Amino acid sequence: MPDQGVRPRAASDPDLSDATRAAFPGDSLTAFAAAHARLAGAGYGAEVPRVFASAARQVAALHGAEAALALGPAASRLAIRARPRVAALFLDTAVAMARKLDAGDFVRWQVLIVALLRPAPEIVLPLLERMEMLVERLGLDMLDAWIATGLRFAASDRERRLAFFRLELPEARRLLERHAGEDTFQSLERGLRACHRALWGHLPPLREALPAGRGGAARRTSFAAGVIRMPASYPGHRGREAALYRAALAHLGAHFAYGHGPFPVGQLKPMQIAVVSLIEDARVETLAMRDMPGLRRLWAPYHIAAPEGVATAPSLFSRLARALFDPDFPIRHGWVDKGVTMFRDHLERIGDPAISRHIGNLLGNDLGQTRVQFNARGHVVQPVYRDDNLGLWDFPEDPAHPPPPQDEMEIDSHDLRRSEATDRPRERRQEAPPDPGQSPETLALSSGDPEAGVTVMHLPEYDAGARIERPEWVTVKEYDPTPGDPRFWQRLQERQGPLLARTEALVRMVDMGRTRRLKRQAEGETLDLDAAIDAAIDHRSGRTPDHRVYEGTSAPERSIAVHLLLDSSRSTEDRVGSQSVLEIERDAAAVFARATDRLGDALAITAFSSNGREDLRTVCVKRFSDDLGMLAGMALSGLTSAYSTRMGAALRLAGHSLARVPRHRRLVLLLTDGEPSDIDVPDREYLITDARRAVQSLSAEGIDCFCIALGPGAGETVGRIFGRTGFVRVERLDTLPEKLTALYLRMSR
Amino acid sequence: MAESMTLDDYRLSAEPAYHPCGQEIAHYRAAYAARLPVMLKGPTGCGKTRFVEHMAWALERPLITVSCHEDMTASDLVGRYLLGPEGTHWQDGPLTLAVRHGAICYLDEIVEARQDTTVIIHALTDNRRILPLEKKGELVQAHPDFQLVISYNPGYQSVLKDLKESTKQRFCAMDFDYPDPGIEAAIVASQAGISEGTARQLVQIAGKSRNLRGQGLDEGASTRMLIHAGRLMEAGLDLRQACQLALITPITDDADMRQALAAAVDACA
Repeated sequence: MPDQGVRPRAASDPDLSDATRAAFPGDSLTAFAAAHARLAGAGYGAEVPRVFASAARQVAALHGAEAALALGPAASRLAIRARPRVAALFLDTAVAMARKLDAGDFVRWQVLIVALLRPAPEIVLPLLERMEMLVERLGLDMLDAWIATGLRFAASDRERRLAFFRLELPEARRLLERHAGEDTFQSLERGLRACHRALWGHLPPLREALPAGRGGAARRTSFAAGVIRMPASYPGHRGREAALYRAALAHLGAHFAYGHGPFPVGQLKPMQIAVVSLIEDARVETLAMRDMPGLRRLWAPYHIAAPEGVATAPSLFSRLARALFDPDFPIRHGWVDKGVTMFRDHLERIGDPAISRHIGNLLGNDLGQTRVQFNARGHVVQPVYRDDNLGLWDFPEDPAHPPPPQDEMEIDSHDLRRSEATDRPRERRQEAPPDPGQSPETLALSSGDPEAGVTVMHLPEYDAGARIERPEWVTVKEYDPTPGDPRFWQRLQERQGPLLARTEALVRMVDMGRTRRLKRQAEGETLDLDAAIDAAIDHRSGRTPDHRVYEGTSAPERSIAVHLLLDSSRSTEDRVGSQSVLEIERDAAAVFARATDRLGDALAITAFSSNGREDLRTVCVKRFSDDLGMLAGMALSGLTSAYSTRMGAALRLAGHSLARVPRHRRLVLLLTDGEPSDIDVPDREYLITDARRAVQSLSAEGIDCFCIALGPGAGETVGRIFGRTGFVRVERLDTLPEKLTALYLRMSR
Repeated sequence: MAESMTLDDYRLSAEPAYHPCGQEIAHYRAAYAARLPVMLKGPTGCGKTRFVEHMAWALERPLITVSCHEDMTASDLVGRYLLGPEGTHWQDGPLTLAVRHGAICYLDEIVEARQDTTVIIHALTDNRRILPLEKKGELVQAHPDFQLVISYNPGYQSVLKDLKESTKQRFCAMDFDYPDPGIEAAIVASQAGISEGTARQLVQIAGKSRNLRGQGLDEGASTRMLIHAGRLMEAGLDLRQACQLALITPITDDADMRQALAAAVDACA
C-alpha cells in the first residue's frame, strides 16, 4: 500500500508503479490519484479509469503532469456527453497525439475535442477513430477548419454530420483533400481541360470518377463510350498530382488519337487481355512520342520497375511496360525480352492496332504456360498514369452475365491501398461504404420547392474560418414571379408622383460616364486645332469665323449598368409605419427603375431570399434585356417576404449577370433591411465575411457594390460588408431621392 | 514634282518575302485589274500586311499604310489646312495622297476607326471612285491606279465594334489564316534564320496553341510570334525559353492557359 496519503480505495486503486511515480512527482501524484478516483467512482465502467491511468502516465512523461491531469476532466465530460467508450478511445488517442504534437498543441487538441461536445457529440467517435490520419494530413489548424466546414456542411442534419465525419460523403473526402492542400481533379480540372485540348485538338467529356459501389474510390483513369473518367485524387502522390494528372490525360489522349475502337474480347483469357492492353498502351505511346517527343519526360518518372526481382505477373508486366517505354532498360527476363523483340519486329506496322492483339496473344499464352500466377481480380494497371484499359475492350453486353474480365479487372481499392499507398498515413478503420440513400446526386437536392424553382447555377462561398472559397457551394434557383397588380405603375404615379419627378430631376443632374473628346466647343481647356484653323481661314477670307474653337475632354456618355437586388427575406414583412419593409423596397425600386430607365441605363432587378445553401431563391423582376413594363410592375408588386438573407451569394449572382453587360461602369445595388443570415449558418460572422468577400472579388472584376440599408438598425453590419463609403441608410422612403443623388455622386468619383 | 517625290518614299525597294498558300495572288491581281476594293480577313499575325506589301511590290505600286485607331478623325485620313508663315495651306492626308497619285491605300484594322470616319471611303469604293474634300471644296477623282485595301479581324468583333453593313458590302474579301504546317515551317525557318526542324517544332507548338482558340485563348500563336521565337532561338535561347518569352507570356495572363501552353511546348520539345 502506498504511503502517499492516498486513501485506500479497493477496486479502483491505480497502479502506482515506479513509472507512475516518476511521471507524477510531488503533489501531482495526489492529484493524479484523485483524478483517477473520480473517474473510477463515476460509474463509467472499468475501462475508462484503466486507460486513464496508462494514458496519463505516458502523457505526463511527454508533456508534464499538468497536461496529463487535464485528461481526467476531459474524459469525464466525454463519458457523460458521449459514451464511456468514446472517453476511453479519447484517452487512447491522446497518447498518440502527445507523441505527435508539442505540449501547446496537445492542449489545443484536447480543447478542440472537448469543444465538439456541445455542438455535435456524436462526431467525436468517428473523428477519434481517424484522428492520427487526420492530424497527419491536415495539421491542427486545418483540422479545426475542416471540422468547422463539416459542421457547417451538414448543418443540423445529424445523420449527414455522421456520414461526413465517417468520410462516407465524397464531399467530406474532397474537402479533406482540399484542406490538406492537395491538388484534386476538381482543383486541376480547368487546366487539364486546356492542356488536353491544346495537345490533341479536341476534348472528350471529362468527368470525375464517382466512388465505386464498394466504397473504394477509382485509382486509375478510365474511358468508355468516349467519356473520360479521372480519379478524384491520387493519394500517395501528394504534391505531384498536377504532373500525374497531366501524364494520365496525355496517355488517354494517345489512346484516342492512335487507337481504333475497342478490341472484341472473343475467347481471350483475363491474362491475355491484360497483356494485349499493355502492348496497346506501349503502341499508342510510341506513336504519340514520335509526334511529341516531350511526352517521354511526362511519363518517364512513373516507370519505376526494377530489372530484377521475383517473377510475379505484376512485376513482369511492369518490367515489360518499362522495357517497351525505355530502350535503355536492362532486360533480365526471357519473357520481357521476347515481348520487346516482338514489339520491335512489328515497328514498321506500328500504326495498326492488330499488332497489339497479335503480340499480346502470344505473350499471354507464353506466360500462361509458365507457373506465373495471374490474379485478375487484384490486377492493377501499372504505371499509375495509365488507364484501367476497360475502354480498350468491347465487352459483350449481357446484364444477366456481366463479363468476367471486366469484373475481375475492376480495381480493388483495398488491394491498392496496400500496394501503393505506403507513404499514406494509416487509417484506423476501412472506410465504410456510402449509405445507399445518400448518393452524391441526391445530396444537392434536399429541401426547397422543387415544382417552382429551377436551378440556374452554383456559386462559390467563402469560409473565413477555413480560409477557402468553396466552389459550387450555393445553389441558385429561379422562381417564377407571383403575378401582382397589373396597374402597378399607375398606382405608383398616384402614390409617389412628386417623388418620381424629384428623383428624375436629381439623377439627371449628375453627369457620369466615360470621358470623350468634344470638338468645336464654345469654351474649353484647349484649342481645337481644326476649328481654330478653320476660324483663321474664315477670318482672313473675310467671312465670319465660328467662335467655337475649343476642345473639351469630358462628355456625358452614359455607359452604366445596374443590377438592383431586393432583399425579400422574412424580416421584410415587418411594418414601418403604414407600409412593410418590402413595400418600401418595392416602391424605392420602382422609383429608381423609372429614373434609370429614362436615362437609358441598363437595369436588372432581382428579388432574393434563401432557404439554406441549397436554395438561394431568386425572382427575376426585370432582366437587362426586358422592358420596364407591365410585367415588371406585376412582378414587383407580387413579391412576398419569406426565408432568410444569404447576401454574399446574391451579390455574386448579380455580379455574374453584370459581367456580360458591355457597359463601362457596372454596379450592384442592394436594398436590404438587415444583415446576412440563413438557417443553415449559426455563425453570424460567417455570412458577413462571405458577403464582404463577394464585394471585394466583384470590385476586383470592376463591378462596384453599393448597399442601401433600409431601417435604422442595419448600419454597422452593412458598413463592414460594403465599406464605409459603400452604403447609405434610408429610414424613410421620401428621403430616397437625396440618398440616390449621394449614391450617384459617390459612383462618379 | 514634289508630290510624286513623296510617293516614291512609299515604293517598296526590295521584294517582301511572301509564301503563297493558295490562289490569293491570282485573286488579288484580278481584283486589282478591276480596281475593286479588297478586304483582308484573318487573325492577327497571319501575314495580311505582308501580303499587301508583296502585292504592292509585284504590281509596282506605292503602298500607303494607315493603322486605324479609335481617335482617328476623317481629317487624319483626308487632310487638313495648316497654318504656315504665308497663311494657310492644305496638307493632303494619306488617303488623299493615295487617291491623287495612284497608290494602294491600306487601312489596317479598320474596325478600330470610328464609324463616322469609315463612311468617307464610301464614295471611293463604288463606281464613282471619288473623294470629296469638303473643307477644301475639292472633288478628287481617283487616279486609275488607286486601290483601297482594308484589313479586318473577325475575331475582334464585339457588340461595340463592327463594320457597317454598307461598308462591308463594298469590298471583295479574302480569307487569311495561318498557313499549312509545312509552308508555315518554311516561312518561320527562312524569316527567323533557323533550321527547318526547329521551325517545324515551333509550328507544331503553334498548332497546339491554336487548338485553344475560343477555349480560353482569343487567338493561338501567330506566325509572327513563331518568327519572333525563332529569332530568340537564333540569339541563343533554347526552345522553352524562347516560347515562354515570345509566345506563352504575351498571349495570356491566365495561369491555367499558361500551364497548358507550357505543357504543349514540353510535349513538342
